[in-house]
Amino acid sequence: MKKILKVEQIQKYYGNKDNITKAIDGISFDVEEGEFIGIMGASGSGKTTLLNCISTIDTVSSGHIYLENQDMTEIKEENIAKFRRENLGFIFQDFNLLDTLTIEENIALILTINKVPEKEIDKKTLEIARKLGIEEILNKYPYQVSGGQKQRCAICRAIVNNPKIILADEPTGSLDSKAARQLLEIMEDMNNKMKATILMVTHDPLSASYAKKILFLKDGKIFNKIEKGEKQRKDFYNEILDVLALLGGDARDVR
Amino acid sequence: MLGKLSFRNAKRQAKDYCIYFITVIISVALMFSFNSIATSSDISELSSYMNYFSKAIAGISIIIVLVMAWLINYCMVFMLEKRSKEFGTYQILGIEKKSISNIFTLENLMIGGIAFIIGIALGTFLYQIFTSIIMNLFNQPYQIEISFSLKAIGITAIYFFGIFALVLLNCRRKIKKIKVYDLLYAEKKNENNIIKNAKGNIILFALSIVLLVGAILINNNEFANASNMVGRNIFIAIVMLIVGIYLFYISISSFIVKRYLNNKSRKYKKDNMFLYRNLTSKINTMSFSLGTIALMFVIILTGANVALLMNNLINNEIEMGYPYEIMISTQDGDFSKYKEYIEKNTKVKNMYEYRLYNIEEVGIAKKGFEGTPFQGKSDNKIDCVLGLTDYNKLREMLGYEKINIHDDEIIINCLKTTKSAFEKYTKENCEIRIFEKDFKIKEIRSESIAQVGFNGFYYAIIVPDSFIPIIKQEDEKLRTKNDINATTVKVGEEKNEIYNLDFAYKLVATTENMTDEKFYQELSNFIINQDREMTGEINGEEQQYTMQISLGNVKTKGEKMSQSKSFYATISFLAFYIAIIFVMATATLLAIQQLSDSEKYKYRYELLKKLGMDELQINRTIFKQLLFYFAIPMVLPIIISIPIILSVSQVFAIGVTMEEIFRNIGIILGMFILVYGIYFIATDVQFDRNINGNG
Repeated sequence: MKKILKVEQIQKYYGNKDNITKAIDGISFDVEEGEFIGIMGASGSGKTTLLNCISTIDTVSSGHIYLENQDMTEIKEENIAKFRRENLGFIFQDFNLLDTLTIEENIALILTINKVPEKEIDKKTLEIARKLGIEEILNKYPYQVSGGQKQRCAICRAIVNNPKIILADEPTGSLDSKAARQLLEIMEDMNNKMKATILMVTHDPLSASYAKKILFLKDGKIFNKIEKGEKQRKDFYNEILDVLALLGGDARDVR
Repeated sequence: MLGKLSFRNAKRQAKDYCIYFITVIISVALMFSFNSIATSSDISELSSYMNYFSKAIAGISIIIVLVMAWLINYCMVFMLEKRSKEFGTYQILGIEKKSISNIFTLENLMIGGIAFIIGIALGTFLYQIFTSIIMNLFNQPYQIEISFSLKAIGITAIYFFGIFALVLLNCRRKIKKIKVYDLLYAEKKNENNIIKNAKGNIILFALSIVLLVGAILINNNEFANASNMVGRNIFIAIVMLIVGIYLFYISISSFIVKRYLNNKSRKYKKDNMFLYRNLTSKINTMSFSLGTIALMFVIILTGANVALLMNNLINNEIEMGYPYEIMISTQDGDFSKYKEYIEKNTKVKNMYEYRLYNIEEVGIAKKGFEGTPFQGKSDNKIDCVLGLTDYNKLREMLGYEKINIHDDEIIINCLKTTKSAFEKYTKENCEIRIFEKDFKIKEIRSESIAQVGFNGFYYAIIVPDSFIPIIKQEDEKLRTKNDINATTVKVGEEKNEIYNLDFAYKLVATTENMTDEKFYQELSNFIINQDREMTGEINGEEQQYTMQISLGNVKTKGEKMSQSKSFYATISFLAFYIAIIFVMATATLLAIQQLSDSEKYKYRYELLKKLGMDELQINRTIFKQLLFYFAIPMVLPIIISIPIILSVSQVFAIGVTMEEIFRNIGIILGMFILVYGIYFIATDVQFDRNINGNG
């Protein structure tokens, strides 16, 4: 398997000399092509900071992140946007759809930013929407459709450009349990059938149980690492709960 | 404590309202400086006509106050809504509504007070500039001195704080009525009506274009025949214009959607989609305000242009109608006493007396003016005729070269504005028959020899001296026809008729120095006394009638200049005053709208950034968004007002040339775009800062 992402001893500090907060304190791991990795941890464990650093929205204090041998931490400021739009796909907790655009236009937006020829945009948008079962609502506005449909639209937007890695930040956070389950099945499908590489941050064990591998963070460090292997999802879920109990995280984080 | 908190919150928002604050300061400064001019004795003593200036400023202040009230009210209500979350939080903490509205009042009074003080200081400075411009216009020396007019400060304070008090009362009422829930969730409200019935709107859009074009055409048609203008049609055109403008702004977003977003290849080009969606959702929520702004722009643009046209008209009247310092017409040709008086009181350079002849119209003007804006303008049924010797003498006095003609040639000397009409006519018809004799029209000349009613109405025919005896006979014949060109004046029980043609004996003089208003008064008094001597004791009404005739037949350049300068100062300052305040108010409103919406836009642009747009592209998109936003209420008014101005200016055609009309339009649009542009750039800079988060 090809290594897509290589995180090497990254650190992220906040604050000044007298009062340093280590949001990330020396994390290293690899992501291989076609992997579905979950990152779990309590609030303040550094999982969102980690995701932000990988997604180039935030910068690291030290260490390196390589995407297919290119060092992301060395990319110049003016090239970052280009790098991001060509290599990364984003799924956010609150969908981040523009309510002035229709569902179709929200998906097409990323393609226009990437300067895809106008004729192809329509084709690609329709194709991806059909795959995710939202072609019926393409002409509606975000506030006219359900949360699950919105998130599916967001996923379309994340993958329509064929990014090298998809970064998802609490993708089920704003959905009810039924919609969340549907969404996770879609993501699992994407991973299995389309061989999409996904990195998902969540604190919900059920969501995490859809991933193939989970990293647990605590106080900015990797606390534990488990793999699904050939296990049933239910067993994997229980295993996650065990680790969480061990993690001693806030009871609120364990559903 | 609460005061401190609120003060800090206000300070944090200050950057969004900086533009508003500056606009209020400049408005106060303008208000104060104009009020100072209105109350200044230096200015009102410049000329007897400058009194109108003060009165006009007082009148115009009503409009200014209304515009200011509109702006301040809009901005304050806006601020109130933006800070609703803050006020809602206070209320949840248990602070009474009354103290909240007290804080809001106090804050705004503080802002207003500071703006007022700075404005007065700036206004004092502006007053000096304006005064020196006016003094310069009247060739008076002026020394800059810092002086406050208490009266002007008083008037400005009454206007300004009056507006503030009313607006604050309105805000307090709003705070009183509002519920906590609304305050807390006001920010979450979406812009409604994002989707509209697109098909219906496209029809509305087409209808608005039809209405606007129709209004312009009707308007043009009416002004083309200004002499028999139908008031009802003008009214219909105005109604069509107003309805058309509002419909345009209600339906334009659907048009944009159809034009740019229903066509996929156009939609997906560059940032079109993002841009137009942002724009249309904004236009939809404020189509009514945009319509009002556009309507006001049309009025201001047209009004300012008409004001400048009147200025041109007056300046041209002086240039075309008053080339000689003193011009007198009499019935009997005895100028000896007048000459004596003039020589005694001024330094005469040159003086000449002659006779102007009136004959029945020979047809040049009637045919020459056909189909031009001058049609029907010269319906006197008479032509004025000058002999060549007199003509050359009149030219010589003004330093023009001598002209020779053969015995079978004539010249037409006309106003510069009518020259092209005559030339076009004579190109095809250069032969003319006058009283059984054939003449050739040698040329059309347009030197100014006082042809605004003195040496003819807009033109005169110059004939060889040898032809004068025949002209003289015709002139006598015409005089016996009583019905021509008579003005009926009632004197006592009897109706008397005056004939302009009776005053055919002319005296013109040029002097070393320009005469003043006082000389004119004295000269007219002298002439009236002469008349009285001739007619003996007459009763009051008749005396007034004689006076009118006497005054109408005495003209001095000096008096006319003083009148026109006052008029010039009044019109241009007032047009400038209204236009600038209005443009500033409107631009401020648009700027504040966009800047305080930048929170919402920040989220949208942030997303674009995450999706991989770089800062340069984002700034470019912001620039485009703001450019469209500022252009939308302005482009339509410009497109509409230019044809309207051109139609209206047909009325002024006799006194104003086409170049002057286009120059006016250029000047006004230039100023307009300059002020508007400054606001646009300021908004763009601040917007970039807000979005990129380093401001």
